[in-house]
Amino acid sequence: MDKKKLAILAVLLVVLVVLIIVYFNLGEESKPGTGPFIPSSQEEPESEEQKEPAVIVLFFPSERDGLLHREEREIIPESSLAQQAKRIVLELLSGSRLGFLSPIPPETRLRELYITNDGIAYVDFSRELMDKHLSGSSAEMTTIFSIVDSLCYNLKEVKKVFILIDGGEKKTLGGHIDLANPFQPIYDIVAK
Amino acid sequence: MSSDAGSIPAASKIEIDDRKKLLKYRRGIPIFTLAFSLIFLFLNVPGASQSQPTLKISAQDHDDYSRVIIQSSLPLSSSVERSESYIFVKIRASTPFRVQRDSIRSRFIESVGWSQGSDSYTLTVRTAHDNFSYDSFKVPNPPQLIIDVYPGGKPERSGESGDIQPDPSIDETERKRTSSLSMDPECIVIDPGHGGLEAGAQGKFGTLEKDLTLAISMRLAEIVRQTRASNVVLTRDRDVDLSLEDRAAIANNNKATVFISIHVNGSYRKGAAGPETFFLSTDATDEEARRLAFLENNSENLDNNIQADNEDVIKMILWDMAQTAYLKQSSQLAEDIQNELNFLWETKNRGIKQAPFKVLTGVACPAVLVEVAFLSNPQEERKLLTEDYQFKVAQAIYDGLAKFLRSNSR
Repeated sequence: MDKKKLAILAVLLVVLVVLIIVYFNLGEESKPGTGPFIPSSQEEPESEEQKEPAVIVLFFPSERDGLLHREEREIIPESSLAQQAKRIVLELLSGSRLGFLSPIPPETRLRELYITNDGIAYVDFSRELMDKHLSGSSAEMTTIFSIVDSLCYNLKEVKKVFILIDGGEKKTLGGHIDLANPFQPIYDIVAK
Repeated sequence: MSSDAGSIPAASKIEIDDRKKLLKYRRGIPIFTLAFSLIFLFLNVPGASQSQPTLKISAQDHDDYSRVIIQSSLPLSSSVERSESYIFVKIRASTPFRVQRDSIRSRFIESVGWSQGSDSYTLTVRTAHDNFSYDSFKVPNPPQLIIDVYPGGKPERSGESGDIQPDPSIDETERKRTSSLSMDPECIVIDPGHGGLEAGAQGKFGTLEKDLTLAISMRLAEIVRQTRASNVVLTRDRDVDLSLEDRAAIANNNKATVFISIHVNGSYRKGAAGPETFFLSTDATDEEARRLAFLENNSENLDNNIQADNEDVIKMILWDMAQTAYLKQSSQLAEDIQNELNFLWETKNRGIKQAPFKVLTGVACPAVLVEVAFLSNPQEERKLLTEDYQFKVAQAIYDGLAKFLRSNSR
């Protein structure tokens, strides 16, 4: 009796898992490319039933010129604005898939991110963003504005970005750009 | 306007080769006009047309100092050194001078002697005793080197010369020039980026940004001292830590006419090359503008409520946004310097940028941050390691600065 119940349960579970996998694979196949690489799509499958994949634009520096370049990427939209913003930063941290340069030291982690009602996103990075950062005005500009532009471009609710290190306010990353005020995006440095 | 009348044909310009000069002058009639008017002014300097150039030496006492005036009919290229109770003035000269001692009426200056070297003259100023300090500066039209000697030391710190009395022999145009940007004498503040524990960028061959910025800044300071009648203040003259706020404070405390922060760039791109000149972005000043608005709106209360201890805080808030008022001039200064650096590095003009630089925010005068080249680029690193290039970079920055000061003195 117990064994039978268990067997039915197991079968049901397997069917459910298969259904979920089939559902997602079909969903992704209609828009080719990125689906299987998204790690968080497996984490919360129940809430994703009606959500269409969304295209976000990330900004990465290129070796060719000193400008930021657009890299489009599909993600499953997150449930909240802050989650969505976190996701954008995580995608940026994971680096380019089109061979652009990474503007952020690879050891850097995103610690926390929250968005105030007046549209300022506070993005808290681990201290590697500062300690492992390549010194120079250009490098600092690139790092900061790849983050700021990526957030502001995709989320219209985010007007400015305040960068925190290790939970606190720092003066600069490496002696140049002032971190004491939130940044508005600069799109002049984005390639046309 | 006439401040640099003498410096156009000066020795410091010779190393810019003719081809580059041609290119430079082709860029626009304004530059030509300027050059011609400067030459015209120079030709009108009394005595310049005489066959043999002269050096007139005089000295007299003032209230708490003695002033030595060395007047020349040619632009002066000189250095001043002190040894015990003597001051030695070395004047570079390609042609022989007629030396004329006018009047030495001083209790402290005992004598001024001179000797002639192969390409220079050395004047020896003998003082009564070795307990003194001195200031030296230059004024053009006619070119003069002025040495103020303070027996028993100068009452205030030697970086400042706010107490210099206008000398009757100083030309009227000179006084106008120095007073047009501000009421104070021209003061150029040069800020060698980084220092101490904060080394800045590092090159492939181990070059540290802090060392290069210091070397170039020292050379730039030297060129300014040799060429202009202005005070020069370096925010640091050795390898020490210095906060970004302190750098701005040094500029403001010295009532800087212009603030130039010298840096060497670094990029994720291996191929990144060329100079870039930055001035503060308007975005950065938005926040400050809001704080100012708040301050103004609450100023009635403010006047009543400020305690003596709070004045510092208010002053700091005001310093925080000091640069806002100078953005237009700063952008002009950035352009003038970038143009010269572009000639030097033969880069296309792409290098003027705005960014929220911490060091510029609080500076209450036209202020720029110059990234002279990329230390992350091994070719540029190699060049920057040579004294020749350090000098060329300093000279290019000076040429841009001089152009800016000329166009702002009208």
